[in-house]
This record gives sequence, structure tokens and C-alpha cells, in this order.
Amino acid sequence: MTLQDSHIALAHGNGGRYMRDLIEQVFARHLGSETLDTDADSVPLTLPGDRIMLTTDGFTVQPLEFPGGSIGSLAVHGTVNDLAVSGADPLYLSLNAFIEEGFDVARLERIVADIGRAAAQVGVSVAAGDTKVLPRGEGGGLYLATTGIGVSRHPDALAMSEIRSSDVLLVSGPIGDHGIAVMLAREQFGLRGDIRSDAACVLPLTRALRGVPGVRFMRDPTRGGLATVAHEISRATDLSIALDEATIPVRPAVQAVCDMLGYDPFYLACEGRVVAVVAPETAAQALAAWQDLPGGTDAAIAGTLGGNAGGGRVTLRTTVGGERFLEELEDDPLPRIC
Amino acid sequence: MTCTPDVPAHDADASPVARRIVLTGHVQGVGFRPHVYRIAVAHGLRGWVRNRMGEVHAHVEGPQEDVGAWLRDVVDKAPPLSRPALGKVADAAPLGMTGFTIRDSDARSDASIFVPADTSVCADCLREMRDPSDRRHRYPFINCTQCGPRYTLIEGMPYDRPQTTMADFTLCAACRREYEDPMNRRFHAEPIACPDCGPSLRFARWGQPDIAGTETALQAAIAALTSGEILAVRGIGGYHLMCDAGNAATVQRLRDRKRRPDKPFAIMVAECGADGLDSARALVTLTAPAAEALRAPHRPIVLLPRRAETDLAPAVAPDCGDLGLFLPYSPLHVLLLDALCRPLVATSANLSGEPVLTTPAEVDAHLFGVADAVLHHDRPIARPADDPVLREIGGTIVPLRTGRGTAPLELALPRSVASPVLALGSQMKATMTLGFGNRAVLSPHIGDMDSPRSLEVLHAVSGSLQDLYGARASVLLCDAHPGYTTHRWARKQGLPVVQILHHHAHASALAADHPEASGDWLTFAWDGVGLGEDGTLWGGDVLWGQPGRWRRVARFRPFRLTGGVRAGREPWRSAAALCWAEGRDLPNPPDGVRIAYTAWKQSINTIETTAAGRIFDAAACIVTGITHGSFEAQGPMRLETLAGRIAGQPTRMPITKRDGIWEVDWAPLLPALTNDRRRPRERAVDVHASLAQVVPDLARILCAQFPCSQIGLTGGVFQNARLVREILDRTTGLKIPLRMHRTVPCNDAGLSFGQVVEYAAQAGRHIR
Ligand SMILES: [Fe+3]
Ligand SMILES: [Mg+2]
Ligand SMILES: [Zn+2]
Ligand SMILES: [Zn+2]
Repeated sequence: MTLQDSHIALAHGNGGRYMRDLIEQVFARHLGSETLDTDADSVPLTLPGDRIMLTTDGFTVQPLEFPGGSIGSLAVHGTVNDLAVSGADPLYLSLNAFIEEGFDVARLERIVADIGRAAAQVGVSVAAGDTKVLPRGEGGGLYLATTGIGVSRHPDALAMSEIRSSDVLLVSGPIGDHGIAVMLAREQFGLRGDIRSDAACVLPLTRALRGVPGVRFMRDPTRGGLATVAHEISRATDLSIALDEATIPVRPAVQAVCDMLGYDPFYLACEGRVVAVVAPETAAQALAAWQDLPGGTDAAIAGTLGGNAGGGRVTLRTTVGGERFLEELEDDPLPRIC
Repeated sequence: MTCTPDVPAHDADASPVARRIVLTGHVQGVGFRPHVYRIAVAHGLRGWVRNRMGEVHAHVEGPQEDVGAWLRDVVDKAPPLSRPALGKVADAAPLGMTGFTIRDSDARSDASIFVPADTSVCADCLREMRDPSDRRHRYPFINCTQCGPRYTLIEGMPYDRPQTTMADFTLCAACRREYEDPMNRRFHAEPIACPDCGPSLRFARWGQPDIAGTETALQAAIAALTSGEILAVRGIGGYHLMCDAGNAATVQRLRDRKRRPDKPFAIMVAECGADGLDSARALVTLTAPAAEALRAPHRPIVLLPRRAETDLAPAVAPDCGDLGLFLPYSPLHVLLLDALCRPLVATSANLSGEPVLTTPAEVDAHLFGVADAVLHHDRPIARPADDPVLREIGGTIVPLRTGRGTAPLELALPRSVASPVLALGSQMKATMTLGFGNRAVLSPHIGDMDSPRSLEVLHAVSGSLQDLYGARASVLLCDAHPGYTTHRWARKQGLPVVQILHHHAHASALAADHPEASGDWLTFAWDGVGLGEDGTLWGGDVLWGQPGRWRRVARFRPFRLTGGVRAGREPWRSAAALCWAEGRDLPNPPDGVRIAYTAWKQSINTIETTAAGRIFDAAACIVTGITHGSFEAQGPMRLETLAGRIAGQPTRMPITKRDGIWEVDWAPLLPALTNDRRRPRERAVDVHASLAQVVPDLARILCAQFPCSQIGLTGGVFQNARLVREILDRTTGLKIPLRMHRTVPCNDAGLSFGQVVEYAAQAGRHIR
């Protein structure tokens, strides 16, 4: 076979036999399904319902593999989760892979297998795909892009415009695991496996809230973390949000790394958590629904919305009884103390 | 006929002259109009006097000689709290008046307003308060034209009772008579009050009915303090948390409840003995200037070297060589101290770093579980004013914090601003300054700006400063650091914003603190950190020039700090930055330090700085072992305390020119700091000597290259009295005068003033 040389060559992107081999022996082998037709220019899909949801995302994480996941599982979960928090059931994915010349084929296979495994677990099929090979030095080894199609299933409208003052903010589990796990893996801190990414499909969590009335809005706190989601909500609603340091779950190992490096866990990325805004009357019910699930045992109240003294602002009620600003992330956070 | 001297005969029939005079300066809220009146009556003159937006205007007519004498006496015999300046004397047409009257205030607005400051209870009022036959016997709100609250109860200018928080207390007949009698010492004492018509006390314990009635409430408070309870007490500019400073368990409980493990508490001591300072002397050593400062009319907190043996609980000021003392300043405090006969902890009632609490509602919201009970009164506080703090540094008493009685601090600008500006200061120890015309007004201490409550107070003070002085800012000034709350707030106000670099503001504040100084400055700007013009954090630099044109000419060798904002409270990070840069191990690393080291090596969340304050942090960590502090500058304070008064051996640091700038390399400090042949105390002294020696060493090099008329010291690092003393001793050979702050704090509390000075100078330069 043409993949005997164990590294990707430019020829694998030329549209010829090399490329055909790559697609069949690596991608189709792990991602094959009844919808995937590697010969077709496009595929027909049957969609059960009329509220079709579409989302797309690109993945450039470094390192490509980290404790708890890889760029492959992330490419599935990231896109699936965006559909899930919109209240949809995901059905199909498309996949684009941009591979750098010289990339290790065995590694590529591992990552594609991760994609296949993640998709199978979620119950979505990869219905279309494409690969490109980039000249050496022009890519971070591997970039992925996925597009997802789903059908909206949440009984109520989910939108920031539904949010009311005194609503409650819930978080489905400990924050910051992904951000710290990836950073430690990237910078070779020699702390292998101590902290694993939370990367996972959140569909069970978002489905569990379909039976709970008063769910206004959901979002997965990825880049910028919980604090950034809070800022997005605050900006859109002009309401203030007070997060609660005492109740927001943070794993001790994550907190310890944060303390050492001077990071605030509220800004760290999660890849398997949901933030939900729920009416105060049903917040307890929503919380209980999550806590019954394996991925939601540590779910907690993250904060409350309300008031807008001087415009919406995001604060943290600290464990020592104070309240401090959680400012919007700057490009380059500078230490402030004088 | 005998020979008589040739003097013009006094002719009673000579036509009278008339004069119109304007007095400016501190002439309101200090009994100035009755003073003018009394002198006029004494000289048999006719006319009128009135307030006009901060000035006193008078018209007087009568014989020329008497008018002259009156004018002299008006200025020479001015009331103690006033600082009049004769603004204008003009001839006027006689009005043919029959008596002298005090006219109502004229509320027209202009820029010459002076807002009177809060003043401690005067001797006359104290005498009455202690006189059982006086109708104000034991009345905690006694005051007169020479004493009492002012700024904290004024809601608008001109300063008249309807514009104060006393407006809702209707005067009784007896008080009204005093208030309206020009010969009475309470004539137009705006906060005048008595037990029949004025404010009263209320003692509250959560979950129990209130105890009303001033004397009963007072007795309940005294009993609570005596039995070792923690009391919140409403004062002049806010609430205090008070407790017996000799009760170790109580003081520790206050620390635990306030979550303030180490930061020293201020102590209020009774005024007794010949000069009133006997109880102070039992706790601290007093120099003459310090004694005078303690007794200043506004009764500031003064940091003073503590005696070795005192009855104070150890937790009052752990690891601290100084005690912050103050004398009772309100009649209520006097009554409490008289009854208790022991020093009281009197710390601002607030959460760490936040503005002092001023309302009963805030106390209920924030102090439940901290105070056991509360002594309230019902005279509203218009705006907070924390206690001012002073320290003797280099033989001079200098302010570290502006507040009650010293603020609003009214200052002159070396260069006027074309239209009013409001400067928002720093992130920590925030104050704001309103600049208008050739004047600047520095607000009381607001607090650290991390909390929404601080921002709310900043917002309120910004409004009230502009209202009081009738000046509406058309430009906002803020620090260049985009992460400062004040910077973000400025950008949301819809006004033009001008950013001023942190250390330019420090240097300009110092320059304007010396209006008599001319020529260029060589100013050492040493502090924690502030954003510099190259995007790194400065704080150990020398600036050359004048306001409006500063140039950085020297710095400490830059080093990389890990951990972002945490570095300010974790001295080990500074120690690590220096040690790791020199390939050394940190002598006392915290657990898990390897992660921080890896991050430091790879420049993850690190920032380059030259800050002298961080070098002191590093030294404190290595010498005293302090790795984590509970407040900023705790390490350096501990180091200063440890150094005591013995003499040290400086380690000389090489000074070389790099990248066009003179650079002091701190590297030789490290072996000296870890040299275990010298005891920690000796090493603490040595590092003060070493860093002090940098000033003359650098000055000698720089003065040759950068002509200057004076050397300046500014920035929070120069709150270190031991360092300043060493610098003074080591710079006696320099031919150029050394100047430090005297009116405006050297730390970030003075930054807002410097921002206005720097802005005015920059604007002037552009016009030129
Ligand atoms: Fe500073
Ligand atoms: Mg996404
Ligand atoms: Zn008085
Ligand atoms: Zn009365």
C-alpha cells in the first residue's frame, strides 16, 4: 500500500491514488457508515423534523493529544456540544482535515480512530469529509474542522433574550480541567495524567433539562471559561451576574496549578461542561436532573443574575465574604498590583 | 504753647471711608463671618459681611483709622482653624449704614470654593460636655464654629445648615438663640445641636430590641466593650470596629471575623496628662513633631515606634515595629475613652480594602457576624472619610493616607487646566482629584478598586466633588494600565479620556508638592508596579525632567515575575524571579514550586518588571521567610521592623549602561541575602543600606549627564522610614537637595493629583 512510508507526503493531497488510499485506509476505515460515500460529491440526508440546526467549528489545539482526549475527540465533541446546548439532537457531521506534510501516519490513525469512537458514542455519523495536505511548516501537524447538523428538540425557546433578572446560573461540573490539562501537556510540565481534560459530549446533560420548565439558555464554557460566558450573558441582557466562589466546583489539583501559575479558574476552558440559565423556581429541579447523571454529579449553582447598577457587570462573591470584579479577558492580562 | 508732634488731629466729623474686601482661603465653616462681625463691633464700625461661594465678602465704613485697624485684626486675629488670604481691598462709596449685619450666603457659583474639613472637638466644647450643669453635659454631638464635622455632612455649597445632613433636625429655641447671636461662639455653627433637638445614639444587637436614648445606649456600648465584645461605632466619616486593645482573645476574634490575619490595627488612646499624650507615651516613643501631629486639630492616625513592653494584645500589630495611634476626635469617642480608661482598637469598619461603611443598612449587610453589637447615631454621613494616616519619615511628618479632616485636600496647580478635569488615580489606595483653574482637590482615601462597592463610592465621590466645587469635568484622566478598574470606568463615561503613565504621575505629584522648586528633577520612582511606556511594569526607575516631559534615565535590571496579580501578595514570587534569573534555587520554596519554575522558564504568565518594591519583597522572603502575605507590603514592613536601628553594611551593585539606559544590577544582593554568617537582623539592615546606597551612587553618575536642580524620591517604597533614613545619611555629600513628599502621599494615594499636574503640563507643552 502507499501508506507504507509511515509519514504523510504532499502526494497524499494530490487527488491521486495516494490520496485515495489515505481516505480509504485511514478515514473510511474508522468513520464508515451507511451515509458516508467517499465517491459522491454530496450526500442526501433525511432529517426528522423541521427545526434544523447547523453549526461549524475549527480545531487547532496543541498538543494534538492530551490526557483525556485528542484533537479528534474534541472535533466531534466541540461541534456536537454546540448543537446540544442549542437544544438540538445532533445527527450528522462533516469533517475536514488539514494535515501537515511529514505527519506520522500512526498518529493520524489514532486521532481518526478517536473521531470514530466519539462519533459512535454520541450517535452521529460522519456524512461527508475532505482532506488537504499542507507543505511542511505550514500547519500545526493537524487541523480539523467539523460541521454539524441536528434537529431542535428542546420544548422551550433557548435564547439570551429569554433570560430574566434573578435567574440562576448552573454549571454541570468542575471547571478548568481542560484548560489546565492541555496547558500542562503542551508545556511538558512533567505532570502526566494528574489532571485530565473534561472533554466529553454534553448531550445527556442538555437532554436531561428538556423535562425541566424555565430553562432559558445554555452554553458550553469553552474559550474564556465560565467568566466569559457570564460576560456574554451580561452584555446581551444588561444584567449583572454574581458568581459564587464557594459553590463553583474546581478540582483541588486544578486549583493548585492555578494558584501556582497565577491563573483564575473562572477563565479556563472547559470542553465537557454546560452552563445553564434557569428560572429560580426550577433551578433546584434542573440541578437535581444533572446530579443524577454520571457527567453531572458535581453540578452546582454558579451564581445569580440580577440588578444592573451601573450597567451589567460580572463579579465574584469570594469565600472570604468580599465581592470582586471578574473583568472581561484582555488580550494580554497584565498584573495590576502596585 | 507746648510743642506737640505733628499728627493730624482726630476729627470726629471727618467724613467716613468705606472699603469692600474679599477674603479667600479657608474662611468657611470656621466661624469667620462672626469673627469679622465681632471685630467690626469692637471698633464701632458699620457695614455687612457675607459668604459668597467660598469667599467672605465684607463692606465696612467708618473713620479711616478704625477701618485700618479692623482690616489688620480681621487677618491677624483670625480664628484658629481659618487660613484667610486677603483677596481684594477696594474703596467703596459709603452706604450710610447704621449697624453691622451678617447677610445670607450668596449661592452664585465660581471656582473659589473652599470646603471646610472635619475637626476634632475643641477644648471649649469639651469643658461644657464635662460640666454637669451645662445643658450639653455628656452630649456626644456637641460642636461649635471652631469644631465638629464639616465635609462629611455637607451636601452642597455654600456651607449652610439646610445644605447639610443636619437639615432635618429643627433647632430648639435655646440652640436657635445661640445660632443667631453673633456674639455667641455657636453663631452659625451649622451642625449645632443639643440633647433636645439634635442627633441621638442607639445601641443595636442583632436579634434584640434596640436600646434608644443617648445615655442608655452609651452605657450599653461601654458595658459591651468592657466585657470584651466587638462593637461597630458610627463616627464622623464612617463606622469603626472597636474593641479593648488589651484583650488578646477579643483582638484575635476581631482578626478572625474580619479575615484580616496580620495587617496592623489602629489604636485610639485617651487624651490625658499635661499635654494630653500620657497614654500615647505609654505605648510609643514620641518625638516633638510626632507629638504635634497627634494633637493636630483633625487628630490623624500617626505611625509611631512602639515600646517594647506594653499591655496591648500581641495581635494588635504583629511583626510590626510601629503602632498607629490616634486621639479621640469626636465627643462620642471622648466619652467612650473617658469611661473605659484603656486603649481601644479602632479600625475602619469595612471589608479588606473597601471603603469604610457609613450607613446602618450597610452595617447590617456587612458586619453581621463581625461585630457583636453596634452603636449607631442618626446624623447621616454624606460621604465617607477614612481616618488619615501620617508617619515620621526622614524627620518629617508626612501623609500616607488622606482622609477625615485632611480631605478634600485643596492644593495649587503649578500650571492651570483650561477646563475642569477629574483624575481617577490608581487601582490600589485609590483617590481622585478634581482639577479646575489653578486648583486641585484631592479626595479622601477611597480604597482598593477590585470591588463593586469601591466603584460605587468612587462614582458617588466623583459626583459630589464636582457638585461641591461647582466644577464639571470635561476630561477624565486615568492610569495607562488597561486592567485598572478606574481605567475601565473612565472609558465608559462618555467623556474624553487621557491616560497618564503611572510613574510620570508619581514624579509630577512630587514636583507639585514643591511649588518653590525650579529646574529639572532627577526623581527616583520606586514602588510596587505600574505600567511603563514600553509595556513592561516599572517601579524601580529614575525619571529626569519636569512635569510634562519626563524621561526614564535609569532602572533596576529587569526581572520576570510569575503568577500575575498574585505577585503583590506572595513575596516568594519576587524572590524566585531574582534567584532563578541568577540560576539559583529559591531558599524557601513553597510546595509545588516546580510548576511555577517550568512556567517561568517558558514565560507563561510572567511579566517583566524593574520594581524596587518587588526587590524588597524578595529580600523579605529570603531573610524573614515570609512566602505569602495577607496584605501588600507585609514583607517589606516585616523586613523594616527586623532591621531595627543597628548600622548596616551595603553591598555595592554594579551600574552600567545598557540599551541606552543606566541599569543597576541587583544580582550581588542575592549572596548577601543568603549569607548565613550574618544574622537575619544584620542581613535585613544590610539590604536597606544596599538599596539606599543606590541613590547616591546613581545620582553621582546621572547628575553629570542629566543636569538637575534636585533629586526626588517618590513611590510607595519611600514609606519605608528605615530606607529613607539610610538614604539621607548616605546622600549628605551630594550638592543637590533631596526632596520628598510633604503634603501629598508618596504612595498611589497621591497618584490622582500627579495625573492632574502631569496633564496640565502636557497640555501646556502642546500649546507652546
Ligand atoms: Fe505606584
Ligand atoms: Mg464551539
Ligand atoms: Zn467646639
Ligand atoms: Zn437644641
